[in-house]
Amino acid sequence: MKLSAPLMEIVPLVSTFGPAIISSFYQVGKRWQESVLGLLGVLFLFFALIFFTNDFYASSHSHSLFDVRYNKISVFIGLLYCGSLFTGLYPVRRTINLSPEFLFYVAGGLGIILANNLPTFLLFWTFQRAIPMRAFLKEGTGGTYIFQHLMTFICFLILMGFAWNEGLLLVPMTQMPASFFTWPVLLLTFVIVYEAHGIFPFHSWVHDVVGRLPWYEFSAIFLTRAGILLFVQLLLPTLKFDPDVFQILLLSLSIFSSLYWSLRGILEENFAKKTTYLYIAQASLLLTGMQANLTAAKGSYLHMMVISIAGTSLFSILGYVNHTFSLKRRSQFYGMATYYPKLATLFCLFGFCVIGVPLGASHIVEDVVITGLLEYWPYLGLGHIFATALNGILFFLIFTKIFLGPSPYQNAPGDHDMSQGQMLPYLLGFLLLLMIGLMPSLFLEHITW
Amino acid sequence: MANSLFTLMIFSPLLWMGVLALLFFSQMKLAEERLSNALKYYSLYMVFLALSLAVVTFLHRPSFLLVDFPDWFQVGDYEFKLRFIVDLLGATYALLATALIGVIFRFSRNYLHREPGYFRFVFLLSTLLFGLIVVSFSRSIDLLFIGWELVGTASVLLISYFYDKSQPVVHATRAIISYRICDMGILAGAAWSHHYLHTTDFVIIPTLLDHGHGGVGLVFIGLFITWASLAKAGQLPMCSWLPAAMEGPTPSSAIFYGALSVHLGPFLLLRFYDYFAHFPILLVLVGLIGGLSAIYATLVGRTRSDAKTMLAYATISQVGLIYIEIALGFTGLALFHMVTHASLRTYQFLRSSSLIQDFYENPVVEHNKTIQRKLFFERLFSVSVRQRVYVHALHGFHLDYFTGRIIAGFLFPMRVYLKWEARWMEFDTRLLKFLLRKK
Repeated sequence: MKLSAPLMEIVPLVSTFGPAIISSFYQVGKRWQESVLGLLGVLFLFFALIFFTNDFYASSHSHSLFDVRYNKISVFIGLLYCGSLFTGLYPVRRTINLSPEFLFYVAGGLGIILANNLPTFLLFWTFQRAIPMRAFLKEGTGGTYIFQHLMTFICFLILMGFAWNEGLLLVPMTQMPASFFTWPVLLLTFVIVYEAHGIFPFHSWVHDVVGRLPWYEFSAIFLTRAGILLFVQLLLPTLKFDPDVFQILLLSLSIFSSLYWSLRGILEENFAKKTTYLYIAQASLLLTGMQANLTAAKGSYLHMMVISIAGTSLFSILGYVNHTFSLKRRSQFYGMATYYPKLATLFCLFGFCVIGVPLGASHIVEDVVITGLLEYWPYLGLGHIFATALNGILFFLIFTKIFLGPSPYQNAPGDHDMSQGQMLPYLLGFLLLLMIGLMPSLFLEHITW
Repeated sequence: MANSLFTLMIFSPLLWMGVLALLFFSQMKLAEERLSNALKYYSLYMVFLALSLAVVTFLHRPSFLLVDFPDWFQVGDYEFKLRFIVDLLGATYALLATALIGVIFRFSRNYLHREPGYFRFVFLLSTLLFGLIVVSFSRSIDLLFIGWELVGTASVLLISYFYDKSQPVVHATRAIISYRICDMGILAGAAWSHHYLHTTDFVIIPTLLDHGHGGVGLVFIGLFITWASLAKAGQLPMCSWLPAAMEGPTPSSAIFYGALSVHLGPFLLLRFYDYFAHFPILLVLVGLIGGLSAIYATLVGRTRSDAKTMLAYATISQVGLIYIEIALGFTGLALFHMVTHASLRTYQFLRSSSLIQDFYENPVVEHNKTIQRKLFFERLFSVSVRQRVYVHALHGFHLDYFTGRIIAGFLFPMRVYLKWEARWMEFDTRLLKFLLRKK
């Protein structure tokens, strides 16, 4: 099957930017929310169609300032992006109020995912990251978010200056020659990648966003995997030419970052923040596998799949529970399993899928990533193991706090669980993760590009 | 035939778990009576399989059976092999596991009658059985880890069985923290073994060592494995969670902390014994840990007043003795000790809720009452020394305090950093406000 029209490449952007612009001019109601979810579902199918069509079309070598293109990694991330958001949002569609900005986040996110050269990437990245700035500037808060993004923006401009100097500004990112990556360029790129991905020491902006933005807006920003995309498209092809010491430093930072976020989560009191930190700690490990070697990289792609689906589902379940009970009362435990037995079970299972409990998907990921790491960096492999252990502890702390223990809402009436139809996306998501855990070969074989 | 038996042994529990999961998610309500009946046949079937396998293994000793399934998955040069070893150690442990879990299933039929969490209990116990079978027959550390983790997960979820009370949840959290910290040891051991020997196969590792492979770095595999064994076995310094874990239903306490889970530590060491034999220093370490834990648990256990906690400490001290036996090279004795100790403790734990009745009616207890308690320790030291020791024992020799200090020390740099980060972010916000000020 040949998807040959260049028009196809801007379908995701047009279909999201259009409604987003309309919604910013007209008052939108609950119907709009349903339409947004429908759109996400359709986009998911669209990306799935392209992903599983081996002979997909790519209008390469356009060399224009605005260059949007499908390649396997971007389609893979696009597929996960729309799929995860749909899985997370559909079951809770009646309990949330999506802001009109949400579609802008999604549109910007899709732009980042499909961007093919540096100017296009910068355009969409700036657009998406500028949306929360409006609110921050109005409130006079979020200083770290603003300054760190400003720093990254400047880094980006300098990087583009280097590219301009070499005549590579409009060249697709994957086709940048190895000679371009001199020390300053590498350094700039890594700052951008690490900032975009919330990796220590360029992570502080995340604190400003966590707890302020609703979980779905945060997911719409974070699920774009801007850092990963830049890393895979720009750096991965040339990584083997880099000095080893540089790679060790970056690997250590990824692992250290995961340790940092896990510990931060363990020390945090607010459970919504705790969950976000768990998610980011897991996401930090994505770059570890990517940088290690090909074996570990495969594990990382699988990991991306796992944490996108499981992470969004965890957020969504938590959001649903929080919507009904508004868990603001200070309490050691909230005991929500009494009211949501099935959701508690699903939360627990998704968590197990994330933290590496066997038969779940993440166990395979851990195995592959650690094995890949060990080939060259055994000590870093130990760091990774420590990070995953802390991650597991953090998850259990979240689970026990929210779902177990005596409930402070003793007088609340009984069962608030979702109906089976309502939680169908969760169930399908979990089934997928279980299948990855039990039959990993089916999935690992398809991750080749 | 042995191959087929083994295949059934591995896949039957998995299938059973799948059926239970399907029942749960499809919301099909299965009457307790019917579930209990099904459990009865399932337990008998599993015991029959384990017994047959044990008999076959016993007849073929000292040789063992190697069972290879197709690779689970492959990434680049790395293959995850599903390789199992059916030897006397594994077969004995599997038989013990199936038999005792069968007993527990039968016991809980009455004990947990009409309990709302009965189905959950059955599912978690089934997970435990599958985990134990995988651990028993695994031929590599990677594969063993799967069973090991499943046992740990089931254990933690059963401690918090009464999830609407705070104490069980707190203690389940303690348990999982101990487990996760020690489970790192298995992963690290596997990692180290992959790195130095390019294999984690229990059969190949000793052969490689016999041929002079390796170096000083290999000692770390043993250190990691010893560390991994501590949490499950409740040995020092990871022992304080175990007595606290008695919050679950009595049958689960019996099976986990009296019988099967707690003996996984010694089982792991026995599985690795051929490796440990190459490093006497590691055996000394194992012996020391076992000895210290036995003394510690005996002293602390004597200061406790409730039956289940006393039993927990008694278990720790017996497992400590098994560690010593392994360190001295008495592997056969250690295995025998494990089996007998597990059986006895299961009986004791299950009877612990009928203690008062037993005290007056049970002939075994009546016989024990006549034994004079002239204990060695009591005769050896003066009253003042004993009093001082028991005062410290009453506080668990401040083990929790020291552990807390170590964790606090570990977290200290993080707390300092967070303070600086908070200041930095505050500075950013102030700067932003300054820049945005209206003139």
